[in-house]
Amino acid sequence: MSSDEEEWVPFSRRPGWRDVTPVPQDDGPNPVVPIAYREEFREIMDYFRALYFADERSRRSLELTAEAIDKNPGNYTVWHFRRRVIDALNADLCGELDFVSLISLKNSKNYQLWHHRRWVAEKLGPDSANKELEFTKMILARDAKHYHAWSHRQWVLQSLGGWEDELDYCAQLLDDDIFNNSAWNQRYFVISKSPLLGGVQAMRDSEVGYAIEAIAANPENESPWRYLRGLFKGHADLLIEDGRVSEACLKVLKTSNQRVFALSLLLDLLCHGLQPREELREVVQRLSSEMELPVETMDPMRSSYWAWRKSNLLPLPEAS
Amino acid sequence: MEMMLELLPSEYESQEINRLTLAYFVVCGLDILGALDRIDKDQVARWVLSFYSRSGTVEPGNCQFYGFHGSRTSQYPLDKQDLSFNASHLASTYCALAILKIIGYDFSNLDSNSISLSMKNLQQPDGSFIPIHFGAERDLRFVYCAAAISSMLNDWCGMDKEKATDYIIKCQSYDGGFGLVPGSESHGGATYCAVAALQLMGYIKANYISRSTGSSVVNVAALLEWALQRQAADGGFQGRPNKASDTCYAFWVVGVLRILGADQFLDKDALRSFLLSCQSEYGGFTKFPGSPPPDLYHSYYGLAAFSLLGEPGLAQLQVELGITALSGALT
Repeated sequence: MSSDEEEWVPFSRRPGWRDVTPVPQDDGPNPVVPIAYREEFREIMDYFRALYFADERSRRSLELTAEAIDKNPGNYTVWHFRRRVIDALNADLCGELDFVSLISLKNSKNYQLWHHRRWVAEKLGPDSANKELEFTKMILARDAKHYHAWSHRQWVLQSLGGWEDELDYCAQLLDDDIFNNSAWNQRYFVISKSPLLGGVQAMRDSEVGYAIEAIAANPENESPWRYLRGLFKGHADLLIEDGRVSEACLKVLKTSNQRVFALSLLLDLLCHGLQPREELREVVQRLSSEMELPVETMDPMRSSYWAWRKSNLLPLPEAS
Repeated sequence: MEMMLELLPSEYESQEINRLTLAYFVVCGLDILGALDRIDKDQVARWVLSFYSRSGTVEPGNCQFYGFHGSRTSQYPLDKQDLSFNASHLASTYCALAILKIIGYDFSNLDSNSISLSMKNLQQPDGSFIPIHFGAERDLRFVYCAAAISSMLNDWCGMDKEKATDYIIKCQSYDGGFGLVPGSESHGGATYCAVAALQLMGYIKANYISRSTGSSVVNVAALLEWALQRQAADGGFQGRPNKASDTCYAFWVVGVLRILGADQFLDKDALRSFLLSCQSEYGGFTKFPGSPPPDLYHSYYGLAAFSLLGEPGLAQLQVELGITALSGALT
């Protein structure tokens, strides 16, 4: 594989390639958005075309696809041909995972790379679970919100297993950065899908506590608020029954100046029929009063949205 | 945009596979700017059509998709009998059709039936789509492409809408946004794909907000709040909670709000300021303020976002199709 340090040798000068006639790109007479290809790119693709047309599934094809992928990692045709070659040669799949790891060093935000990785891992089966979890962990250590890595990790867990330490892993990432929305999402994924945990129903109680703790520490953090609400997805009745939720809202409204999400959840509770207790009732009265419009000033960017939400609120029940 | 039309710099080499997509950005960008007269429409049409695979019969055992290729590097001579060389791609097909629509090409010249029927081969049992017959990742992007293609061809026999909708529903996250696949973190781009696809298929009535809160196949209240919260303090839009703003999400997320009829709720002045701070002296847009150099992707989406904001002098977009409203009408 060519590297920046070594000088690249054109295929035309490499022994073992003399029999190949490169196939130039036929861009047609008036191409739109032509690209100013560099010589190296042009030659690699010309040689790729030659081997692909001939459907030559050989070792040198494997090498060539490696170079073509290095130059053009998004080219799905090259990756596809490489897979055909791998199958034909019965090539070493573990080594292939290493190849993908190497490519990912340069640019890991590429669908084709991850799809290829999945293809290899699927062939290797459950034995590759650990390696895949380690690989994604490595990527996430550099970028804890890497979308492809998270998707791959979820696929690995569901298809190959390895759930045992996943909740701990989420907790660790959230310790590192409580604002990491990807980690919150993964946490939700684990509690709902892990065969070892019993689903949201079983986990709800402890997770409500976990979310509320995060909220108390950083009420301006959107993630735990969404997570908390998400724990009651499809169960608004349980949402308004769990006193801790309205308590959490009240606490933030009283003590913090980061109140937007507390307000949003409160409006949600009221829409679902929450009968607010005394203290909360006072807060709600203040919020809906015409004299004071704290909602809009709290989040001026979305003031018209809050005004609209307020206007859609059901009238408060009479005080008993 | 015109500069990009003539020649793309070497750095775009790695984007070669997506040539047709790059062309879409340029042509659609020029259209938004009202500068379509700067391109030779016939030349563009000929070039785009040269990426068409070919017409084919859809029959049992033949799982080919007869659409458009994205690039010469995935397209091989038509005399090749081995059908495994057909690498026509759903996203490229979307771009091809969008370009043809924009330049006013007469669609009756296309074999729409072949495109649509063979597209069905790409739909998976769970309702999602893969983009290419020999296999690839599956996610919401391609559900969107399928819906957009069906809409532009005015032919829905290429997709099972109900199944596609089932898949979209599964992609809605606990926080109201949509992830690219079920279980994934909600994301601005994925959310656009979901909502635009639902709109095109007729499962979201336009201007949802101004009607009474009727039922919908997805949780719109949560979606609405999620989308609005994506506008960050700097006025720009982020793709996910607690992440930095990025020009392109101004299109993806504001597009969602527009479809729901809720773009009245966003802070237009703040967004405008943010976008202007991403504009480069060369005329393009960067990902975020101060990140050089401008690239075609962010430049197009920055422009599209300005169109959604109603910037004078820019053509209006038919947001769910990603083309100007006028070209959408020329069926």
